[in-house]
Amino acid sequence: MTTAGLEFRDVAKAFGAVQALRGVSFTIAAGDAHACVGENGAGKSTLLKILAGIIRPDRGALSWAGERVHFSSPREALGHGIGMVYQEMLAFPNLSVTANIFAGREITGPWGRLDERAMRARTQELLTQLHVPVTPDTSMERVSTACAQLVQVARALAFDCRVLVLDEPTTSLTDAEVDHLFGVVGRLRQQGVTVLFVSHRLPEVYRLCDRITVLRDGQFVGTFERATTPSDDIVRAMVGREPPKRVPRVSSPVSTFAPAELRRTSPSSPALQVRGLSSRPAFEDVSFQVAPGEIVGMFGLVGSGRTEILETLFGLAVPDAGQVAVDGQAIHVRSARDAARAGLALVPENRQRQGLFFNLSLRHNLVLPLAAKQGVGVIRDAGEEAVARAQVESLAIKTPHLRVTPDALSGGNQQKIVAGKWLATTPKVLLLDEPTKGVDVGAKFEIHNLIRRQADAGMACLMVSSDLPEVLALADRILVMREGRLRGELPGAGATEEAVMRLATQEAGGTA
Amino acid sequence: MKKVWQVREVSTLMILVLEVAFFTWYLWPSDGGHPFLNVGNALLILKYSSIYGIAAIGAAIVIITGGIDLSSGAVIGLTSVVTGYFFVQAEWSLTASAVMGLMVGLSAGLASSWLIVGMRLPPFIATLGVMGIWRGAGYIITEARFYDLSAKLPRNWTVAGVSIDWVPPLVMVTLAAIFQVLMKRFQWGRAIFAVGGNETAALFSGLRVGLVKTTAYVTAGLLAAISGVVLAVVQGQGKADLANGYELDIIASAVVGGTSLTGGRGSVAGAVLGALIFGVLRNALPQIPGATFYDRVIVGLAVIVIVVMDQVMVKRAS
Ligand SMILES: Nc1ncnc2c1ncn2[C@@H]1O[C@H](COP(=O)(O)OP(=O)(O)OP(=O)(O)O)[C@@H](O)[C@H]1O
Ligand SMILES: [Mg+2]
Repeated sequence: MTTAGLEFRDVAKAFGAVQALRGVSFTIAAGDAHACVGENGAGKSTLLKILAGIIRPDRGALSWAGERVHFSSPREALGHGIGMVYQEMLAFPNLSVTANIFAGREITGPWGRLDERAMRARTQELLTQLHVPVTPDTSMERVSTACAQLVQVARALAFDCRVLVLDEPTTSLTDAEVDHLFGVVGRLRQQGVTVLFVSHRLPEVYRLCDRITVLRDGQFVGTFERATTPSDDIVRAMVGREPPKRVPRVSSPVSTFAPAELRRTSPSSPALQVRGLSSRPAFEDVSFQVAPGEIVGMFGLVGSGRTEILETLFGLAVPDAGQVAVDGQAIHVRSARDAARAGLALVPENRQRQGLFFNLSLRHNLVLPLAAKQGVGVIRDAGEEAVARAQVESLAIKTPHLRVTPDALSGGNQQKIVAGKWLATTPKVLLLDEPTKGVDVGAKFEIHNLIRRQADAGMACLMVSSDLPEVLALADRILVMREGRLRGELPGAGATEEAVMRLATQEAGGTA
Repeated sequence: MKKVWQVREVSTLMILVLEVAFFTWYLWPSDGGHPFLNVGNALLILKYSSIYGIAAIGAAIVIITGGIDLSSGAVIGLTSVVTGYFFVQAEWSLTASAVMGLMVGLSAGLASSWLIVGMRLPPFIATLGVMGIWRGAGYIITEARFYDLSAKLPRNWTVAGVSIDWVPPLVMVTLAAIFQVLMKRFQWGRAIFAVGGNETAALFSGLRVGLVKTTAYVTAGLLAAISGVVLAVVQGQGKADLANGYELDIIASAVVGGTSLTGGRGSVAGAVLGALIFGVLRNALPQIPGATFYDRVIVGLAVIVIVVMDQVMVKRAS
């Protein structure tokens, strides 16, 4: 604790009846890398939005380098050197990557004439630095979610920032990308930049940060030194009780549940069978199957074609070649509706863009796929309420009631809504794309249990995740993708992180 | 770099060329001069199209921000009245009268943006209200009379050596060029696209969203007022009911020119080309024997067909 850095003093904020922050005070030393952790809805993003000048606190003050500051707009905060990567990705789909990075702060000549050349050059530099496989001129709508997240980071780095604020920047990044990102952040720290980092991935927090501040239910719990605090203590501080026990690895697909025998069903009757599926250039000649009751994890680096496979299976893209069969019946899905009727469900990667209706209440969000699948013409309030309530309870979604729209929920709780609305359809095959993106330890545990329960009840699950420990903990079998091709398959039981990473990163031509 | 045929405006231009080719063929005379393909007629089309085209530039800008401006027809009408009043009644110079006319557009733009940015009204409602008030003001001022500018305007009038007939098209092309560059190469234009693409992201990025929208509506108002001055001079009249219903044709011009009503996409050059497409239709249809009663239907169909064709061409190109 050297120089006075960033200080929050008694900051409080309520949204209607929800008290998001109840007088939070703590200090971040200048040049420090500081983490802020807490359960979903603890108030982390709200605190950061106050810092960025997006939300005005009801009371309390901020000071920076000993001076009281007050940001009434994001523009002012930016002007003070506060660079921010928001949890909910905010991109301009209609503009190029370069334009996205420089939006609002373009490099200009006289009269605001855009200096495209300078901006493109700087963008190229940043993209190279962060290893983002896109060009400066790519239209943002063609950029995958993970790359888009890195573009947001590039945006924050494009200007001299004195405080770099990162709200869950790694949710869809794999270790390799996280390494690049942390490398860059490390260099910035050497230049004296203060870093404020929010993440639910505690190992990352421990890697990057010196001090960790814990929030719980809008209250400050404490600031801990990384060096002297074991992560269990942090979890205990976050949840305010004993941490949920780490999910025991089911060493084999056979469990004590009766339906588990289903997992052993002979490969001749897989729930999902994919043969020679291609959609160039995203992926090529992909064949695999998922048995009823089996959880198959699909791992690969960003750009390896994982999301595209799920979207193709779900009828959102038309494949060039290949066959898909559900329960032994060949299916030709042309739309998501066809797919849902065939017994598929997809929990998509990007909840903002693909998962939620922000104009509809939680209840309507939660029952929509079910209603669409059943083709119900008449809406029965009571029935809907029951379906929605069941999901809210089983997923422990934190919300005052079911009539609010999703934007009133914290990021992690929004994710649970997306998972819940598809689980309500009780599909035969559940496709999951980053199902625990941005959810806290407890909720992750809930979602994992939920996936496992669904599998035990005979559902076939295909899960794409960048979170390797999650894949290892949950999957009965792991498929590894690299550059659009399936490079290998590992049994979930014996697999190690190293073995999976080796397959995922090997140079082309290496043995699988 | 994009190939020529991938540029959005080129597909709109192609539709215009096809249209002209069609009418040239269809109206080919059995004897003597071509009724459609001649310099005089071309000038006529250009002159009348520029009234729509100039305003369509502003309409495109507003639509790209994700808004809509329904007041352009009313602004054009009231501008002709105000210009006429100062020129005929108050006996001011034409330039001074035109400047007063531009105030109509400025005030409409400021009023719309105050309602939209300050009072948070949806653009459709705000500009619908402004449309009614500005249109009504024309009737109050004129009390069912009209100002006859033609009597006071010089005959065989030339400006810098060119006939006055060429001035409106030249103004339109110049303004289109200026705004095309402003939209594509300047920070202001980038901000317009950003706000239309994702308003929340624009706010979080530190853009002054309210200011950007205000400039868009004020620009649209001023451009509509320029159209109004042109109309007053071309028609030789200042009259409260001029340009009735033009707002929809103007919006249609922008949309036919590739501007997306959901915001974030479009171009002002395309909007001008869209206005020309309609200008040709409006000129050529009455020359087809028996088409008189069908022309509204044909124009309506044309909007749909052109937008569909355009989408097909864009998909083909990418
Ligand atoms: N715009 C809003 N309107 C109403 N309530 C809100 C709004 N934004 C946040 N909240 C509520 O404030 C609380 C804190 O939310 P916040 O987004 O800060 O949580 P968080 O700690 O970032 O959680 P997560 O880890 O899930 O991102 C939550 O209970 C949330 O429902
Ligand atoms: Mg958050």
